[in-house]
This record gives sequence, C-alpha cells and structure tokens, in this order.
Amino acid sequence: MNRALLPEMLHCTDMTVPEKQRARFKWQPEQQQQQPQDSFFGDLSGVFHLQQHQLQGFQGDLGEVVTRSVKPDPALMDNGWPDLVGFGPCGYGNNNGSGFDINYAISRTSSCPPAVAEAAVDAAVLANGREPVVSEKLSSGVGRESLKKRKIDKVQNNTKVVAEDDSRDKRIKGCGEEGESKFIEKNNNKSSTTSKNSNKENSAETSKDNSKVTEVQKPEYIHVRVRRGQATDSHSLAERVRREKISERMKYLQDLVPGCNKITGKAGMLDEIINYVQSLQRQVEFLSMKLAAVNPRLDFNIDNLFSKEAFPGCTTNFPAIGMSSDMTNPAYLQFNPVQQQQRQQQQQPQQQLVTCCGLDMGINPPDMGLRRTISAPVSIPEMFIESSCFNQIQASSTWDADLQNLYNVAFDQGRSTSFPPQPFTGAIEATNLKMEM
Amino acid sequence: MTSIYQINSATRIRFARRFLISLSRMRRASTLGPPSDEEIRTRTRRIRIVSYSSMAFAVGSSRAWSRALVLKIRNRARFRGILRNKCLASKKKRVIKRHKVSREMSKTDMLRRLVPGGAGMGICGLLEETAHYMTCLATQVKVMQSIADHYSK
Repeated sequence: MNRALLPEMLHCTDMTVPEKQRARFKWQPEQQQQQPQDSFFGDLSGVFHLQQHQLQGFQGDLGEVVTRSVKPDPALMDNGWPDLVGFGPCGYGNNNGSGFDINYAISRTSSCPPAVAEAAVDAAVLANGREPVVSEKLSSGVGRESLKKRKIDKVQNNTKVVAEDDSRDKRIKGCGEEGESKFIEKNNNKSSTTSKNSNKENSAETSKDNSKVTEVQKPEYIHVRVRRGQATDSHSLAERVRREKISERMKYLQDLVPGCNKITGKAGMLDEIINYVQSLQRQVEFLSMKLAAVNPRLDFNIDNLFSKEAFPGCTTNFPAIGMSSDMTNPAYLQFNPVQQQQRQQQQQPQQQLVTCCGLDMGINPPDMGLRRTISAPVSIPEMFIESSCFNQIQASSTWDADLQNLYNVAFDQGRSTSFPPQPFTGAIEATNLKMEM
Repeated sequence: MTSIYQINSATRIRFARRFLISLSRMRRASTLGPPSDEEIRTRTRRIRIVSYSSMAFAVGSSRAWSRALVLKIRNRARFRGILRNKCLASKKKRVIKRHKVSREMSKTDMLRRLVPGGAGMGICGLLEETAHYMTCLATQVKVMQSIADHYSK
C-alpha cells in the first residue's frame, strides 16, 4: 500500500516534498526488512531532481553553493541509481553533514562541499549492496576518516548553530519537531535518540542557511538524514552514549529519591536529589547530636545492640517534616518523637537537651513541674504543627520546648557552628549544611 | 546496573559495628553533671565524623566517594591544628562570597559539594556516586536512629 504508492508519489514532483518524505518514511522501515526495490532508487532520483530544481532558485551565496554542490550532481546522475541511493539517505542520516542532501550541502558549503562528492562516491560504493540495511552501510561508509575530519568541524558548528537557532523560525522548528515525532514513531531503534539530536541540529543548520528554501523541504530532509546516518561520527556517537548514560542514571536516582515519580527533567530531579542528600546529612547531624547527649551513659552493650542492628531501619519510622514547601514527601525526614520525660540531670531546662534518652534516672517531680511551667508558654513552632508526626508527640511538649530552646540557643551562638538542630530548618533559613569535615 | 548501587547488608553490619565500637570508645571528660553545651557540641562533631568515617571504611575503596572521604579524614587527623586555623580564616571569606556565588552556582556544583570527592568527576560519574552515597547515607541514618531509639527507651 505504502510501497505501491510511494514510487508514484515520489516520482510526482508536484507532490509536496514533506508528503513524499513521510511516505518514504513509512516505507523505509519495511525496506529494512526486505530487499529494496528499484522504485526506491527511482524515488530518490525524483527527489534528487526536485532538490536540484529548487537549488537553481537560490541566489547570492547560495548560488555559489549551488554550483558547487551541483557539480557533483551530474557525476552522480551519470552513475545512476546507486549514487542516488547513497546520496539521498546518506545525507539525511549523517547529522554532521556528509553533504548528501543538497540542502545540507548548501548549509555546509563553507565547510565542505567536496564532502558531497565524496559521500556520493561512498554511497555509490556502498549502494551496490542494495540492501535492507542501506542506511547502515551508508552510515558505515560515511564514517570514513576523511569525512570524519570534516565532520568534527561540523559537529561544533552543529552545536553552535543549535544554540543559535533557538530563536529561529518557529515554523521550521515546528515542522522539524513534528517530523521528529513522526520519525520516532516509526523507528524504534536506539538511533532514534541520536536522530533526535541530529534532527534538531539539522533543522537548525538548514534553517540558518537555507532561509530561501521552503520550510516544507527542511523537515523532510531532516527526517531522512536523521534516519540514515545515525552514528556516523565518533563524536556524535560518544555524545549519544553519554546522554543515554546520564538519563539512565537520572532514572535510577528517580527511583531512589522518594517522591520523585512525577518530576520530569533533569533540573527538577537535581533539585530533589540535592534536597534529599542535604536532608539526609542533616539527619545524621541531628542523630549525632542525640547520641552525643546519650553517650554519657556508657552502657553500650554491643552484642545486645547487634542483635538489633542486624535488622536496622525496619522498625524506624520516618514521620514527615516539611523541610520546605517543595518537599511534600513525608518520607524524607525522620523525626524521632522522643517521648523522653526523664531528665538526665537536674539542670536548667534551657540549656539541656531533653533527649538525654535512655537514662534510668527517675523522674524528678519538681523538675518536671518546673519544666512544664517553663514549656507552657512556649508555643509549638509552626513547623511542628505542620508535620504529621507531631500527632505522636503531643505528650512530649517539654521536649519540643527544649528543642525550641536548643534551637534558640544554637541560633544565638552563631550559625558557624554545626550545632543548630538541622531537622527543623524547614522553618529556619536553612544554613547550608555541608559536611564540615 | 542496580546491583552496583545497592548496599549489601554486610556493609550495613560493618558500619554498625565500627560505629558502635567507636562510640563506646568515646568517653566523657567529666562524668559529673550534665554535659555542657560545649561538650555536647564537640561530642556531636566527633560522633558525626565517626559515623561518616565508619561508613566510608565499611564501604571500603570500591567507591570514589568513600575513598575521598577516607583521605579527607586521614588528612584531617594529621593536620588538625593547621586545618582548623585555615578553616577559621577562610570561613569569613566564605561567608562573604556566598552572597555572590550562591546564585551562580549551578545545581551540579552544589551536588559536587555535597558528595565527597565530587569535584573531580564528570556528571556521569557524579550521578553514580550520588546514588550510592544516598543509599549509604540512608542506611547510616537508619542505624543511628535505631541506636538512638535503643537508648531512648
């Protein structure tokens, strides 16, 4: 159906090029599995003619380009189908501009017009294979050293042009993206990722240099170009691999960090990761503070602890403390609702951590009374109210008061110390706690 | 790939063991009366260092961040006095600089600061190290939490 239509469509120059491109696009995946038809090459010749005709219309600098790029064309034409086969697909496939595509050649005139001829020659050589694997062979042929060298510049050009073209004609880009999406639908290969990049690059380049070419043309060339010359350049290959690696790792991190399922994009993910690591470090800080208070009780029964430590973390609960407005996931922080009413010593409550836990001191009624009176006027900080965990801590108002006092004390004593209770920085201007080691 | 980043229970047990042993080694200067603020602060710092170092040693040299951390701790132990003086002197500059630099700092830079040894890595390796570091931090927190819970009862 598609295949039958395609030759007709492609031969008909009246057809708009994008339609031809798309038709060919649909057809090409089939081709990969089957022997290419002669009609394929015929189609390409048709396209080639079309391109040539449109080339004639260029003026000025483009005129020179046309002459340059047109020169190899006759040679190609003479060779016949194989050249066309190589010419068309190769150009598209090679995002670095093997120059098969005339538009592409035009865009790259300054850098390498000869590439067109050379690429064409390569294509000719390769196209003899006539295969389902036309694209791959072409790409491998295109990946010759001589071409690569020129492409190095083009890659750099590509990246620059891509950056510049962000402000370019939206229609062109829109077409390119539309084509891109179509391409991605068709092609499930991993080449799709690179083709995206090369697609953008190509569209950028063509849009920059071929202002006079109809925008309709560019997306199609981009389509084919992208599809064919996937990993021709070592640089683009490396870039693609690197990008895939990074995205893979970001996905894994997304699984690690709780509550990041909905966040898409690197920036948001990085934010979440940073927040999470900071929160974990603050938790370590807080727990070390807690243990520092506990430590005087030297009753460390290691074996006893070990029987529990063999399964640590299973029983710990992680109540929620909203560290920041962004963090909605309550699993972030753990807040240990220490219900300790016991005091290690009978001291001024302001300067003491109530969390001197684990001490076997009996409750000192006067002390507790004193603490309660002191804690009464202390209003529970808003952050406490927000957190759900405080439902568990309603009894430990004294502890809350002490923590608040502790916070105040620490605050007064300056932020340079690492002492402030970090888990409560949700309400505090968070001092960026780095590992001050 | 996930196997690379996952922490074995063996690592966790190693960490717990080291941590507990070092904790038990820490003695209070004066067992009389409540610990003063200063004492608590110094102790907090020490315990924190101990926890990070025991985690780094438990992980061993298999990860870049643990290696960097171990080196840092060793250097710190050696040049304690010198480092302290330097830190105090540079802290003022750091405070002043923060106002200017904080905006320009990119997220990857922040991540590099957080993860030990992150300065010398590319983004790819940085993400990998971050993943492993995060899991190690989480286990560290859990172990410390359970220890604290144990003593809070």
